[in-house]
Amino acid sequence: MKNIIKGFALAAMTLTAPMAMAQSFPESPITIVVPFPPGGSTDLLARKIGESMAETLGQPVVVENRGGAGGTVGAHYVTQADPDGYTLLMGVTGSNAISAVLRDDLPYSPTEDFDPVSIVISSPLVLVVQSDSDFESVQDVIDFAAENPETFTHGTPGVGTSMHMAAELFGLESGTTLLHVPYSGSADALKDLLGGQIDSMFGDILVTSEHVKAGTLRPLAVTGTQEHFLLEGVPTMAEAGLENYAAFSWQGLFAPAGTPPEVLDTLYGAVSTALATDELKAVFAERGFLVEGMAPADSKAFIASEVEKWGRVVDAAGLKQ
Amino acid sequence: MEILQGLGLGLQTALGPSALLFCFIGVTVGTIVGVLPGVGALAAISLALPLTYYIDPTDALIMLAGIFYGAQYGGSTASILLNLPGTATAAITCLDGHPLAKQGKAPLALFVTAINSFIGSSIAIVLLMFFAPLVARVALNFGSAEYFAVMLLGLVAASTLTVGSPFKALAMVAFGIALGLVGTDVNTGQFRYDFGLLPLTDGFSLVAVAMGLFGVAEIIANIGQPPGTLHKLGRVRFKDMLPDRQQWREIWPPTLRGSAIGSFVGALPGTGPGIASLMSYAAEKRISRNPEKFGNGALEGLSAPEAANNASVQAAFIPTLSLGIPGDAVVAVLMGAMMLHGISPGPNLINDQPTMFWGLIMSFWVGNLILLVLNIPLIGLWVKLLSIPYHVLYPCIFVFICLGVYSADNSTFDIFVVLAFGVVGYGMRRFGFPATPVLLGFILGPLLEEHFRRAMLLARGDPLVFLERPISAAFLAVSALLLASAFWPRGRKGKAEEAADSGLDP
Repeated sequence: MKNIIKGFALAAMTLTAPMAMAQSFPESPITIVVPFPPGGSTDLLARKIGESMAETLGQPVVVENRGGAGGTVGAHYVTQADPDGYTLLMGVTGSNAISAVLRDDLPYSPTEDFDPVSIVISSPLVLVVQSDSDFESVQDVIDFAAENPETFTHGTPGVGTSMHMAAELFGLESGTTLLHVPYSGSADALKDLLGGQIDSMFGDILVTSEHVKAGTLRPLAVTGTQEHFLLEGVPTMAEAGLENYAAFSWQGLFAPAGTPPEVLDTLYGAVSTALATDELKAVFAERGFLVEGMAPADSKAFIASEVEKWGRVVDAAGLKQ
Repeated sequence: MEILQGLGLGLQTALGPSALLFCFIGVTVGTIVGVLPGVGALAAISLALPLTYYIDPTDALIMLAGIFYGAQYGGSTASILLNLPGTATAAITCLDGHPLAKQGKAPLALFVTAINSFIGSSIAIVLLMFFAPLVARVALNFGSAEYFAVMLLGLVAASTLTVGSPFKALAMVAFGIALGLVGTDVNTGQFRYDFGLLPLTDGFSLVAVAMGLFGVAEIIANIGQPPGTLHKLGRVRFKDMLPDRQQWREIWPPTLRGSAIGSFVGALPGTGPGIASLMSYAAEKRISRNPEKFGNGALEGLSAPEAANNASVQAAFIPTLSLGIPGDAVVAVLMGAMMLHGISPGPNLINDQPTMFWGLIMSFWVGNLILLVLNIPLIGLWVKLLSIPYHVLYPCIFVFICLGVYSADNSTFDIFVVLAFGVVGYGMRRFGFPATPVLLGFILGPLLEEHFRRAMLLARGDPLVFLERPISAAFLAVSALLLASAFWPRGRKGKAEEAADSGLDP
């Protein structure tokens, strides 16, 4: 009911005011809500993009950290803001796609309550084992897991994270079952992998590539569709034998549902300009990000495909809460 | 040889003018946020982090780290003087620090904490300098079974933490564990006891619980009370601060033990200074010949946890700098700061960024020396704060508590949490239920559960795993011995202690 009223109000607004808004937006500072504490990659992305967007738009862009519950607290906060383009969310795979299929108990809908501005970047993960492990390739893992279901362990930073989903997709595509060992953060999982308590992990590229360089971890395959520049020579899952496999974690800018399309376009223009700067390219290369910069319509279609993909994985693995 | 070179390089970096300046700013800010009740290192570092995007990465880290360990110095000040912990981890300092102040020994207590903090930090920094890779490798051998055993030992040792009825204390540990259950279940991802409130799916924040139970409750308890004896404390002379020969002897051994426990706990990723100070306090009380002194102004009960929390904070840099795995939540934010500057903390850090690595370590010495020099003259000033009338002082503190709790996550919900726990804490006091065991259960309970379930998962449900792994078995054996000794407590010292014990039971 609330949504219907909101819908009518928004429809009325978009009918009466579109031209005026498109001309004058933005008239005051814009806030990008980061649904995590400062210091993470989402925070970095929001601040760097925000700086450049402020120049293009001629208004300050303020970053506000509202961490909690895997990004859902911040996402919920943004759904309650006015859909005028002044309050935006730097959303992630978990807060804006996986949680839609994993949970029924969220007070917002990750798909219906947002209008995406742009999927800004994506980053593949990498399946790593200890460097003295017997597993030399993805095929070794599949062979072992096929004979010993629920034995090969993988650590994740928690249920429903993109690392967890990547591993469940691996099981689905290879027809095996791995043993999921959830941690309360990726650092804890990495510690147990280095200490030999668990067999493997679908890890963040930047962090694990440091350990690969130091010779403590061995990469088996990246989850993307092409070779990654921080891990040269490491095959993709498709090259390693799982033809249909692709999993990314991504980050994107979202506005509350009902934001006028002109405003979305203005914001998207500023994002595109930002992504073309050398400074941001350098930051992304350092972090191991792949630049996406999808337009609003493409972003919406991309999210729908993500929700569909992870929905299949969640159903197959029986993870629905 | 390599280490000597590193030390030289580090000193050069840390004594450079900009590094010195940022170190000074960091530790000063740290001291201030430590003293202010509610505003802790985590909130301060989160706020300061975006500012450091614009300065040199090494200077940025030196400053942020300074806030972190500086806050450990300041945290005990309010605990001692006002019975209000300045940081969540300084709650344990209230137990013996405040009684000392009530006996007119506030300057002494503050001096002892400054010295102990320095000693605890120094010992951990030495470990960090010379044995970091070795300590990190030992820490890696700790799997979930070992963590469970260590936490269990902590819980058993701490079960007699406070004076008064053991049943009430036990009930409060259970209450704390129950509070710790609120949030997302790590194993299944299910929300527990969230009552449909999204902010509760992360559980209660430690700062809000601690500040409510200790801080807000203390403020409520003081409404309408006349200013106490502390009010009349006059000018502080240096003579009042110095411990005498007998007191030095009481301080030394607990300080060293506290430093050892703190370094050990700090080097284990996923723990923190709160656990370090709780465990060292419990250990001191356990081995003391006069456990009845604890809670009534025992210098041992003040020295051990103070040394432990500082040691733990410095030792938390061991896994961070040598493995790229943060030792606790605050260091995790610091690691984020490194990554923002394009430095990936990991096993290559010491080779890739020797200037930063050694510069940061040497800045710890510089920072701790500044803190020592800074804190001793400040004692006079802090004591003077007590002459501010309560009706002015407490509302100010109350505002700071709310600010601090809010700034940690920009969450108004946490302000209501701290208020609710203030009321609960006041009620507990009225009926003689101690608050420290709640904190103990709240901190250790979730860790116990998480590691127990993970150990069982990895062992495919075989409980013998805890006995088959030697480190875990050893800790369990010590816990069992401690439990057993609780049934023969009177044998060694005879009736005198028994009389003293029963005298304290209300």
